[in-house]
Amino acid sequence: MSFFDVVFYLFATITVIASVGVVVARNPVHAALFLVLAFCSAAGIWMLLEAEFLAITLILVYVGAVMVLFLFVVMMLDINLVQLREGFWRWFPFGALIAGLMVFEMIWVLGSRQTADVSKAVAHAADYSNTKELGRLIYTHYVYPFEIAAVILLVAMVAAIALTMRRRKGVKSQNVADQVKVKKADRLRIVKMKSEPKGSEN
Amino acid sequence: MEKIKEFFKTFLLVELLKGMALTGRYMFARKITVQFPEEKTPQSFRFRGLHAQRRYENGEERCIGCKLCEAICPALAIKIAVAEREDGTRRTTQYDIDLTKCIFCGFCEESCPVDAIVETRIFEYHGEKRGDLYYTKPMLLAVGDKHEAQIAKDRLADSKYR
Amino acid sequence: MMEWLQPIQNLLGPAWLPIWTAVKIMLIVGPLMGGVAYLTLAERKVIGWMQVRIGPNRVGYFGLLQPLADGLKLFMKEIIIPSGSNKLLFVFAPVITLMTALAAWAVVPFNAELVLSNANAGLLYILAMTSVGVYGVIIAGWASNSKYAFLGCLRSAAQIVSYEIAMGFALVTVLMAAQSLNLGDIVKGQHGNYGMLNWYIIPLFPMFIVYLISGVAETNRAPFDVAEGESEIVAGFHVEYSGMAFALFFLGEYANMILIGFLTSIMFLGGWLSPVPFLPDSIVWLFAKVAFVLFLFLWFRATFPRYRYDQLMRLGWKVFIPVSLIWVVVVGAWMQTSYWLW
Repeated sequence: MSFFDVVFYLFATITVIASVGVVVARNPVHAALFLVLAFCSAAGIWMLLEAEFLAITLILVYVGAVMVLFLFVVMMLDINLVQLREGFWRWFPFGALIAGLMVFEMIWVLGSRQTADVSKAVAHAADYSNTKELGRLIYTHYVYPFEIAAVILLVAMVAAIALTMRRRKGVKSQNVADQVKVKKADRLRIVKMKSEPKGSEN
Repeated sequence: MEKIKEFFKTFLLVELLKGMALTGRYMFARKITVQFPEEKTPQSFRFRGLHAQRRYENGEERCIGCKLCEAICPALAIKIAVAEREDGTRRTTQYDIDLTKCIFCGFCEESCPVDAIVETRIFEYHGEKRGDLYYTKPMLLAVGDKHEAQIAKDRLADSKYR
Repeated sequence: MMEWLQPIQNLLGPAWLPIWTAVKIMLIVGPLMGGVAYLTLAERKVIGWMQVRIGPNRVGYFGLLQPLADGLKLFMKEIIIPSGSNKLLFVFAPVITLMTALAAWAVVPFNAELVLSNANAGLLYILAMTSVGVYGVIIAGWASNSKYAFLGCLRSAAQIVSYEIAMGFALVTVLMAAQSLNLGDIVKGQHGNYGMLNWYIIPLFPMFIVYLISGVAETNRAPFDVAEGESEIVAGFHVEYSGMAFALFFLGEYANMILIGFLTSIMFLGGWLSPVPFLPDSIVWLFAKVAFVLFLFLWFRATFPRYRYDQLMRLGWKVFIPVSLIWVVVVGAWMQTSYWLW
């Protein structure tokens, strides 16, 4: 077994353990942290395949941003575990069916003859930058699918904001732009008064 | 026009740069730190620090146990017990000041009819145990004996204004 | 350059590479920790001077042994683990903070050949590492089982994630100008006949400001230190930490500060390149530039009062992100014309 294999199996084991942890962890925050670990080790495997752009982007986007927001929500939720587990056995067959289906699909895809010969990483020269190659492909060959995907994401984002935004009346909040605009002359009036002569106060 | 000027002022961080120029200038200003154990700030003769009990020149303690200081103490830091001495004079058998309670207001000193309890200029005392800051009569008298010259001088200086 | 190491290399055989790498890592981390220690002293001195004080001067001549005294004090202190806290995560959080702060140094080049890992995607790697650093804060805040720590961690996480976007766009303009994600190549792209005028700070000046301010926000430094906000939430995410666990957070924060200093110098200030054409390029220039950026950090802290939280978020989302987006387009258009000289 080469060093490459050792590293691969190490990362793969961590990924599997972490993924199981996501499902079985009682505490939702632990589950989210397990998911982070799974992402990190998956990124490690991609790194082994010399897909450094994808690996780092996985960390940057999913670990660095998406999971942070996820954790945010999960940490602030007040989760009642008993209530959550109420319907477990009722929905178990349905969940098992979906899981089985996914496993079947994966075996089908990975086991087929067409994917068998591309599953090996292609060796490249040391100065080969797959970031550049990826960029070239995305912005030439796949430019329309890429742009359409981007627009769909934008629409989804705008829709999400539009759905959740509501203007409440009577909310007191500060308008920073107005506060910045304030100048001394608007607020302060300097009055010049003659001082009164001594002894006139009584 | 005013708005455009304002816009550029904001984006060119003019006010922030002004602030930084100010602190930058002060970096080279003469420093005003007093290096404490070696240098000390001047003290007033009315400084209110550690307490002391005074004696008359003949060595007799001044305190007559009138308990005025105990009564006026806003922090209830003073505890006094009184008894008659063999010579028939009224003296304290216990005179304790809890310095952890004391707020150094100087009322005890003001109320004292015989100038027995006074506050000295000493402020650099410390205790290593909680009980160390509970000053009893002998301790207060010892402070007074040690610093009598300074105490008397300060009272004299202050006497003009009383 | 490394011929004298040849006999040792032959002696060790296949074990040579890991050992030599470990030695190189030590050569980076050791001085870095020293730098962190003396940055704390420099901070206290500089802020002291700006506040017309003289700063620490008792431990050693000019206070030079103060960092050692502080370190010793923290080392001797008890590590208190609050009851009701999540013990494993509580201990793990400071480790994550320091680990990510140190991991980012792998791709930082010190001069044309002095770099631990000459990675192609170095810039991305650094962005990824600094964004993972936020987990130390989040986990610390959550595992402490304390309201103040939790509020501090929420503030800090939201702040870091927001400013990372502006920071990312600032970096996009740099990599557009340099046509590379490799930090060494970015510095080489700033090489030219005119010294300072070849640096990216000239065409990308607004991005330099955005990057510097986002860097301050990213490291939770004043005036963006609402995560600590001692007047409101005591000390934020690390209230419950004491002794060495607290010291690890401290080390992580300052290591990140130095990292931002290096990145700013490398990407905008020409790294190890000399500012004037007649002087040779040298690593000394890099250190001088880093010292300047770090001095700016301290200067900011001595000058500006803390931002209110809504102002901070407004600055990130409503000012920096639009400004950097516009500048990305401007640089893109500029590079297509013949007026792009960099």
